[in-house]
Amino acid sequence: MHAPPQTTLPLISAQNVRKTYRLGKISVPVLRDASIDVHEGEWVSIVGSSGSGKSTLLHLLGGLDRADADSGAIRFGGEDIRALGAARENRYRNRDVGFVFQFYHLLPELNVLENAMLPALVGLSRWRWFAEKGALRDRTAELLKTCGLGHRLLHRPAELSGGERQRVAIARALVNGPRMLLADEPTGNLDAKTGAGILDLLAERHAAGLTMVMVTHDASIAARAQRQVRIADGRVQ
Amino acid sequence: MYAPLLANRYLTSRIIPFLAVAAVALCVALVIVVVSVMSGFLDMVRSSGKTLIGDVVVTRDIVGIPYYQDFIREIEALPEAEAASALVESYGLLQMPYGTGDGGKRIETVQVWGIDPESFDRVTDYQSKLYWRTPTAQEAKSLGPDDPRLESEYQRENDGMSLRDSFGNPGIVLGIEISPFNRRTKDGSYRTENQLGQQDPGYFMPNVGNVLLTLVPVSESGRIVGEKKSSFAVVNEFQSGVYQIDAQRVLAPLTDVQRMLMLDEAELTSKTEFDDNGRPKVIGTTPARATTIVVKAKRGVDPRTLREAVERAYGNFYTKAMENRANMVKPPARVIVATWEERLSDLIGPVEKERELMRTLFSIVYVVCAALVLAIFWSIVQEKTRDIGILRAVGASRTGVLWIFLRYGLLIGVVGSIVGVFLAWTIVARINDIHDLLGTPAPMWLRVGAWVIVAIGLLMIVRGIVRASALQTVLWGFGTLALIAIAIVLWHHEGHVIWDPSVYYFSRIPSTIDFHTAWTTALGGTIFSVIGAAIPAGRAADTDPVQSLRYE
Repeated sequence: MHAPPQTTLPLISAQNVRKTYRLGKISVPVLRDASIDVHEGEWVSIVGSSGSGKSTLLHLLGGLDRADADSGAIRFGGEDIRALGAARENRYRNRDVGFVFQFYHLLPELNVLENAMLPALVGLSRWRWFAEKGALRDRTAELLKTCGLGHRLLHRPAELSGGERQRVAIARALVNGPRMLLADEPTGNLDAKTGAGILDLLAERHAAGLTMVMVTHDASIAARAQRQVRIADGRVQ
Repeated sequence: MYAPLLANRYLTSRIIPFLAVAAVALCVALVIVVVSVMSGFLDMVRSSGKTLIGDVVVTRDIVGIPYYQDFIREIEALPEAEAASALVESYGLLQMPYGTGDGGKRIETVQVWGIDPESFDRVTDYQSKLYWRTPTAQEAKSLGPDDPRLESEYQRENDGMSLRDSFGNPGIVLGIEISPFNRRTKDGSYRTENQLGQQDPGYFMPNVGNVLLTLVPVSESGRIVGEKKSSFAVVNEFQSGVYQIDAQRVLAPLTDVQRMLMLDEAELTSKTEFDDNGRPKVIGTTPARATTIVVKAKRGVDPRTLREAVERAYGNFYTKAMENRANMVKPPARVIVATWEERLSDLIGPVEKERELMRTLFSIVYVVCAALVLAIFWSIVQEKTRDIGILRAVGASRTGVLWIFLRYGLLIGVVGSIVGVFLAWTIVARINDIHDLLGTPAPMWLRVGAWVIVAIGLLMIVRGIVRASALQTVLWGFGTLALIAIAIVLWHHEGHVIWDPSVYYFSRIPSTIDFHTAWTTALGGTIFSVIGAAIPAGRAADTDPVQSLRYE
């Protein structure tokens, strides 16, 4: 297993984060002063039972959701992501982090190559696209080959198995070379053997220096991380 | 770069966008076809109505305008006027040379125009409206081989232009629809047919005989003086293009009509003084009068500009006439000066209003178009909620998501409008062929073929039932019902002529696209498609990424 990094400043740090959902007149607190630090190159698993708030914490770390107004800060590389403007926030999701979801979330109209290239397409202007499309295609195809999908580039998601779809999702998360990968139950929808293959692929990326935060409720999967953070009733324990 | 990629993929990989494109195309085509045909009719009515009237018309009642030759000189000196011609208009009775079947002669009520053919031709291109004339080389190509105008016997333009027969007798030109022997064919040309329906030169009006015209002169004080009759040889017939004119109007020599209506030059006698023979003493001459002056504008001059110039010219003419002590009669202080459109407003107005009404009513189609696109896009955005979440998760901005769906709407609008314009063009260009097809009985192979397809449809329903496929059964069920209806209609279809040229006068349905309408409708279709897409697109852009990703 990779050795824990020695940097003093965490890559991402959430301190006393609160998140409350409102269901009509009822307020449902999901996170209560949750705190977590993840250092560069670290693989952290967030474990907990269903409804404990682990996915919500992951979404807040990735800028997909916003913490309560009176909540503590979430800092990425020292910068409070809650204070980012809309354009910088979009760039944060596009460049700095990559997401892998339990249900893959691929676009059915695009083929494997296009799905994997999607974040790069989102991040490029029209002119840069024309200038770089050849190189981008080659780079994405190479990435997909390393994910074992070299023979599936022009297939649609509907033509792939669950494991293959998740590999495409991982390639999509990695295509812009993010500093951190956020994975929400990445093997939750796969059989054990396929899930193990996906974890191996993620482990390879971590070995290459990628910071990973993975949500899971499976203890054996969590055990592959360097560090486990347990969350219960919205609090990190 | 993802916006065009996704918009194009969404458009081409699903059936819903094609339904939206079809809806827009049908809406656009519907508006263009209706307005184009209506505009075509309006243009036909306008161009036909303008025939034989010039650009500006000056009129006075039956008493007429004295010294009209001076007025015409005044008009022809105007820089806006090309030519002017004097007319005398009246109503009369025309005794035809053929009988009524019970021993009498048929009598028609006609509108009589006394014209000077040479100046009238300069103003109205009268010669080209003479029906029985030598066709140009190009016209000859378009005539049917049995068209009588190809025979020299029927080429009577010289008589029509001189308004004299070969013996020098006064001639008259009848509207082509006055004679019952002129039968209009489907291509709009005429045959002179006998009672057995055969082409017969004996029934060609210039060969049939003279007509007797009766006019009723009216004195300046409005008193009917007595009837005047005169015999005229029918020397030609004219076709203006407006049924009401062609069925009522006759053209006779100006001098003859003036004479009959007592509008010609005459001696003025004293009521109190008498000569040596005891007759009233001649004290001067009253001038000839015309009831109407038609004026042609110079090229590029608007009729309204010409009308104002003619009004000024009449003012000058009036002043001079009043100052001339030699004039025995004073011209009227006021005459009616109108453009040809104002003069024919009762003819053009209703058609114009009808077209605008159609355009307005059918513009509601735009709203239908927007509502359809909105409904379709609402369901598309609903279906694409998860995709929107994914896009936002990988860094797409709200504007980017908004632009995907607006672009999608724009694509549907542009493609639908282009298809709609093409569809409309195909229908309008072929509208007469379609009409002819409807006018002929369905061939036997088509009737039998339709029932064979019905039989296939029934078999497919059975197949759907056997395979327990509800969709197949329902689709073939409704399809076969429609096929049965078509087969029944075809079986009983014996040819249904909607547009009968002998009734509607214009021989063909207008088959030219109104390009102004086409591009404005296409633009409207596109704009309303984008409007229809805008609300769902805004909703998509506002969708929270986490909510979208959780959406099932």
